[in-house]
Amino acid sequence: MSLSASSRQRGAIALLSLPAVFFTALMVVFPVGYTIWLSFRSAPLGHATQFAGLANYAQLFHSGSFWNSIEVSLALYLLSLALQLIAGTYLALLLFHARRMPAILRSILISPFMVPPVVVGMMFLVILDPSLGAANWILSLFGLPPSAWLASPQWVIPTIALIDTWQWTPFVALIVLGGLQSLPPSVYEAAKIDGAPAHLVFWRITLPLLLPTLMTAAILRSVDLLRFFDIIYVTTQGGPLDASDTLNVLGFHIGFELFQFGYASALAVTLTAMVFGVVLSLNRLRKAVAW
Amino acid sequence: MVARLVKRVSAAALALSLPLGAHAAGFDWQKYKGQTLDVLVDNNPIGQVIANNVAAFEKLTGINVKVDIFTEQQMRQRLVTVLDSNSSQVDVFMTLPSREGQQFSGAGWYTDLAPMTKDASPDYDFAGLSPALLKAATFDGKLTSIPMNIEGPVLYYRTDIFKKCNLTVPASLSGMLDTAKALKKCNAATTPFVSRGLRDALAYTYSVFFHNMGGHYIENGKSGLCSPAGLSALSLYGDLQKHYGPLGVVNYSFYQISSLYRDGRAAMAFESSNELSDVMQGGARLNDTGIALLPPGPGGSHPTAIAWGLAMSPYSTHKGAAWYLIQWATSPAIQAKDEIAGIAAPRPAIAQDPQVKAWLAAAPVRQVWQNAVNQLANTGTSNVGYPITDNPESRQYIGEAVDKVIVGSDKPDAACAPADQSLNALIAKDKK
Repeated sequence: MSLSASSRQRGAIALLSLPAVFFTALMVVFPVGYTIWLSFRSAPLGHATQFAGLANYAQLFHSGSFWNSIEVSLALYLLSLALQLIAGTYLALLLFHARRMPAILRSILISPFMVPPVVVGMMFLVILDPSLGAANWILSLFGLPPSAWLASPQWVIPTIALIDTWQWTPFVALIVLGGLQSLPPSVYEAAKIDGAPAHLVFWRITLPLLLPTLMTAAILRSVDLLRFFDIIYVTTQGGPLDASDTLNVLGFHIGFELFQFGYASALAVTLTAMVFGVVLSLNRLRKAVAW
Repeated sequence: MVARLVKRVSAAALALSLPLGAHAAGFDWQKYKGQTLDVLVDNNPIGQVIANNVAAFEKLTGINVKVDIFTEQQMRQRLVTVLDSNSSQVDVFMTLPSREGQQFSGAGWYTDLAPMTKDASPDYDFAGLSPALLKAATFDGKLTSIPMNIEGPVLYYRTDIFKKCNLTVPASLSGMLDTAKALKKCNAATTPFVSRGLRDALAYTYSVFFHNMGGHYIENGKSGLCSPAGLSALSLYGDLQKHYGPLGVVNYSFYQISSLYRDGRAAMAFESSNELSDVMQGGARLNDTGIALLPPGPGGSHPTAIAWGLAMSPYSTHKGAAWYLIQWATSPAIQAKDEIAGIAAPRPAIAQDPQVKAWLAAAPVRQVWQNAVNQLANTGTSNVGYPITDNPESRQYIGEAVDKVIVGSDKPDAACAPADQSLNALIAKDKK
C-alpha cells in the first residue's frame, strides 16, 4: 500500500515543523514545570533545594499577607474591569456614531494603551504627587482639600484602577467598536420602524447583542488585571502598608526581595490557577451569551 | 561646557592613575594583564565613580573590565540569580553588609578577603580603613567586603528658617516635636520635618530614633520593638511624620526627601549623609543648610553608620585580578575622588588630602557635613533592622508598624504587636 502524494506532503510538513514545535513547547513547558517543581521544595540561598511537600502551600494559606493580597487583587480587578467595560463601551459608541470625527482625534483617543505601563506609572506618579503634582493643584482651584492619592490606604486602589482605566479603555473600545460594526442592521431598522427610543434600543438591542464581544474584552483584560504588577511596582511597590499588594507584587517581593523562591513559586502557581479558573469561567459565560 | 567636562574627567583619570603607577616599583599591577572581569555595581554615586573611572584601572593593570550598573533592587536580583546557580558570571560586586551580609555569608557567597589584603600595593593603606566598618563586614570570621564609603542618616536643616523662627536644633530627642510644632507655626509654607516613610526603606532612619530612645532590637533573645523605649520611638517618629511631615510621606524614600528639601519645601530632612550632592544640586541650599546628628535621647546618641562594600564572588575564576580591582576601587586615591563627589570615605585620613581639603573649604556646608560624618564614624552602629539572617524581612515588619502609626490606622502598641510576633518568629528561625 503506497501513500498518496498529499499524505506524504502532510507527513513531511509535520516532520519539518517538529523542531519548532518541540522548541516552543520546551520554552513554555519548562518554566511552568520548573515553577511547579520548585513550589514543592524549600530553596535556601546557596544550598541545594529540598523536598518540602505542601509546606509552601500551607504557609501561604496561613499567611495574612496572602489573603490580603487576594482581597486587594480582587478589588482592583473588579473595579478596573467594571470601569473599563463601561468607559470602553461609551468610547466605542462615540467613535461608532461620530463618523465625522477627525482621524487625528480618533488616534489620540485610542493612543493611551500604546504607552508602556512603566511610562504611565511614572507619568501618574508625578501628576498625583501630593506635594508637587498637578492633581492636587487642580483640586485647589475648586477649593477642595489635597488628597494623598497613591499614599492613602483608602484611595490607592481606586486611584490605580483609574490609572489603568485611562490606559486600557481604548483597547476595550476598539474591541467593542468591532462588535458594533458587526451587528445586523436589520434589527435596528425594525426598531426604527417600531419607533423605539434611543435608550431602549441601547438597553434592549445593542447591549444584549454586544455581550459576547464584551465577554471577549473581559477575558482579555482579566488576564492582565489579575496579574497586575507594573504600574504598582512603579508607583507604590505594594504600599502604603500593604494596601496595593496584589498577588503578583507580593510574589515578586517574596521571591526577589526576600529570596524565598519555593514560597514565591507556590504563590505563582496559585495565581496562575486563579487566572485559569477565572478565564475558563468567563469563556463558558461567553459561550452562553453567544447568539 | 562639554569640553570643560571632558578636560576635568581626563585630568581626574590621569590624577588617579599617576599615584598608583608611580609607586608600582614594588608591586606588579600588570600581573593579571589580559584577564577580563565582570563587575556588578549599584547605580548610586559610589558605583558611578567606579564605572566612570574604570578606564584608568584598565590602563594601569591591562585587565579588561565589564561593568554592569543597575538600580539597587535589580542589581541584587541579578546577583542572587547568578550566585544561586554557582555561576562565575560575576567576579566582583557591591554589597550592603548591614542588610544582606549575614544572609549572603550563610549562603557562602563571599570570598574571604582577609588573606588577600596582604597582597596589596604599598599605597593601599589597609590599616587606614575604618576598623568599625571592617568589623561590620566580617561574618563568621571572614572579611566579606572592603568598605567603599561611610554613610548614615543626618539631619539637614534650614539655618535661615531656624534663624527666622528663633530656633536651634533641639538638644534632645524629646525636643524634636516642639521644634517641628514651632516651625509649623512660624513658617507654615514649609513642611517642618520629613524622613523615610516607605515601608521597606524606613528602618534606615527609624533605627536611629529607636536606638537613641534606648531601644534594642533583640533583648534577651526576644524582639524589643515594642519595649517601652520602642513604643516611645514609634510614637515620636509616627507623630513627627503624621503631624509635621508632607502629605503622602508613607511613600517617601531618599529620592522624594532630597527633592523636597532641595526645592526648599522642608525645614528639616532626616536622610542619608550620602544625599549631600543631590541636596546641593543646583546650589539653592548651599548657603542655608546646617547638618547635625539626630539629638540624643534617653538611650544616648547611637547614629547609624553603614557602608557599601566591594566583595568577590566565590565562583570567580579570576580572583587575583578581582582583588586588584577591589584594592584599586577602595584605595585612598579613588576614595578621595569619592569624597569630592559627596561620598564620605571610610578612611579618616582622606580629609587631609589636599584636593579634598580644597573641596571642603570651598563651601562651609561641606565642612559641617564632614564633621557630622566624622561623628558617625566615631559613634555609629550598623544595626539597621534586626541582626539576623532574615534582616531584609525584619525591616519589612518594622516598616509595617511605623506606617500604621503614620497613617493613623493603629496606636503604637496595637501597630507594634503583630510586627513583634512576626519578628520573634524570625529570631526563633535564626537560632535553628
